[in-house]
Amino acid sequence: MFRKCITMLLMLSLLLGTSLVSIGQDSEMMEFEITQEMIDASPYLQSVLSRLDEVYDTSEFRKEPPYRIALAAQGTSNAWSALFDAHAYWWVELLGEEVVSELLYGDAQASADVQVPQVEDLLAQEPDALILVPMGAAALSAPVERAMMQGVPVILCASAVETDNFVTEVGTNLFTVGANLAQWLIDTVGADGNFLMMTGIPGVTTSVIMEEGALAVFESAGIELLDNQPGMWSPAEGKKIMETWIAQYGDEIDGIWTGGAQMAQGIISAYEDAGMEIPPIAGGEMQNGFLRSAMEHGFEFYAWMYPNAMITICLDVAIHVLQGEPTPRFIDFVDTMPEARPFTDAEAEDYIRPQWSDDVHGPILMPDEKLAELGFLVEEE
Amino acid sequence: MSLAKTRINPALDANWRLRAFIANYGVYIALLVLLLAAAVLTPKLYAVNTIAVVMRQASQLGIVAIGQTMILLVAGLDLSIGGIFIMTSIVVAEVTNGRDEMVIPAILISLALGALIGAGNGVLVTKRRVPPFVATLGMLVLVKGATQAYTRGVPGGFVPEVLDIVNQSWFVLSIPLLLWLGLNALFIFVLRGTAYGRKVYAVGSNSEAAHLSGIPVDAIRISVYILGSCLAVVSGVVLTGYVGYVDRFIGTGLELDSIAAAIVGGTAFVGGRGGLLGTIAGVLIIQILSTMAILMGLDIEVQFIIKGLVILGAVTLYSVASTEE
Repeated sequence: MFRKCITMLLMLSLLLGTSLVSIGQDSEMMEFEITQEMIDASPYLQSVLSRLDEVYDTSEFRKEPPYRIALAAQGTSNAWSALFDAHAYWWVELLGEEVVSELLYGDAQASADVQVPQVEDLLAQEPDALILVPMGAAALSAPVERAMMQGVPVILCASAVETDNFVTEVGTNLFTVGANLAQWLIDTVGADGNFLMMTGIPGVTTSVIMEEGALAVFESAGIELLDNQPGMWSPAEGKKIMETWIAQYGDEIDGIWTGGAQMAQGIISAYEDAGMEIPPIAGGEMQNGFLRSAMEHGFEFYAWMYPNAMITICLDVAIHVLQGEPTPRFIDFVDTMPEARPFTDAEAEDYIRPQWSDDVHGPILMPDEKLAELGFLVEEE
Repeated sequence: MSLAKTRINPALDANWRLRAFIANYGVYIALLVLLLAAAVLTPKLYAVNTIAVVMRQASQLGIVAIGQTMILLVAGLDLSIGGIFIMTSIVVAEVTNGRDEMVIPAILISLALGALIGAGNGVLVTKRRVPPFVATLGMLVLVKGATQAYTRGVPGGFVPEVLDIVNQSWFVLSIPLLLWLGLNALFIFVLRGTAYGRKVYAVGSNSEAAHLSGIPVDAIRISVYILGSCLAVVSGVVLTGYVGYVDRFIGTGLELDSIAAAIVGGTAFVGGRGGLLGTIAGVLIIQILSTMAILMGLDIEVQFIIKGLVILGAVTLYSVASTEE
């Protein structure tokens, strides 16, 4: 078993090496160009781009297994985070006790206020490494610095913090994601189209960065948006706003940019009620409910992925760090999880899973039995 | 008080009349002014489709604001309704699992659970003398925790198709609007035309005096909390049909909006004063402002500031108007 794990880790090292080379290279979907102006205007972009070429010397953290790893997670706040946690426990089980003896878990309830003291509690248990899913870039900066000062290597998973004092970040370039969605919309509809933007929660890093990327592209194309409102990553809020937009703009709307599939579902529902044809939507995800609706209505969409399964990469990276291996300071999950690439409506059938419930965000690495245990499988009629 | 001071001074009398007028009709004038402003700033608000949208969305808030108003009338407050929305959404989806024929049992179960939560709030406030803010906040946390423990963060089941009826509009009429109007008619009658309604006002105005005059103060308060929770269940069912699937964050913010609607509508925070007609106007003001903000493309921060200013303005106005009543 131990040998199996070491082999797995070696494979990971290879993948990480490859990712270091491939990060920053154009994917087939990336059709816009990051300009110096965009970089100057975005501290996030500056941070990500500067870390692309950096490798952290982790020899100071080198330890013999088994390891005690702390996971400060978003918590059981929605299906995405529930599957994130499930992937974490499943992966630790697969690695075996000889590699990870204990996973110390903190449930932040999707709140930075809850997470800050929780990280302190986790650090008090003297873990070998801390994997953090930051609920707020500013709020979590100090706890991250304290952990590093305490000699606990910090691996950021799925989001960023404002400080640069951590080992590495596993995620994706959210600026590019937002920009790609906007670029697809322009390519599909044309630069003379009328566009609407529905972002996530104002102030939340993921939402803010994606919005930054999208606005940069819209602005550089000389597009003036009809409107831009936060849909709070909520289908109800998304639907309320879309209903008002439909009443205001009617069939003038040529395309909609949205920061998540939950809001896309609200948008679809508003169009269903209005009995109107759904315009192209940039911002779907590999979420079964969204895909089911999209296939039913047959509209054009561009989907991106933010896989909850990325925690498996975060755990592998934590082990990699504790083995003292040099670690890239920015690891894009797309490079180690190729199935997490963006896709369009033309490929929808390849991504929908009839056996999954509507709230499952893919890709899922766990076997179906695990999903069934969690209640994510539905009986097919 | 000296005799001289009680003589009617025309200037003071006019002042008093103005204050009374503001206290009684201020919210309706504010609504009228808002509608006039909308005619200039956002004429699209008057399109049939927009009115239908405004009314449908206002109904979701309006139904729960009926209960909140009644609770405020007995000098209470209910923050636990946020948990009731989520609980209702989960029960409807879990019990029906998409089957239309199970909607009635699911609603009855939700109402029973809602009544239990309301009774819990009422007992805590009356028998244990826990301040309403603390009691209902604790209940909110408890209900949210219980639903989370039950679902493990992942609500299952499907929303039955029959609930999609809440999304249909005929001209400006919709099921949620009819429900809101119907419930308002019922509870306006209850508050104004029945002994129970008079007791609600009496308990809120002066619970000591109400107790001495033989009114079962605790029972009235508990019953009002139960009614408020049951109305939150009704609103939760409407919201579940509106969203179309189980959402753990359903109705977020409606508990505070319902308090705001009642306060803007003239219901006093200290109880005993106000009513449902004012709350209807308060709900419409909040909803129209929200829709106008989107129609004008205002940033979310500006929307929050406007909403806050309206609430503060209303409270200040009522406070000034009632100072020398």
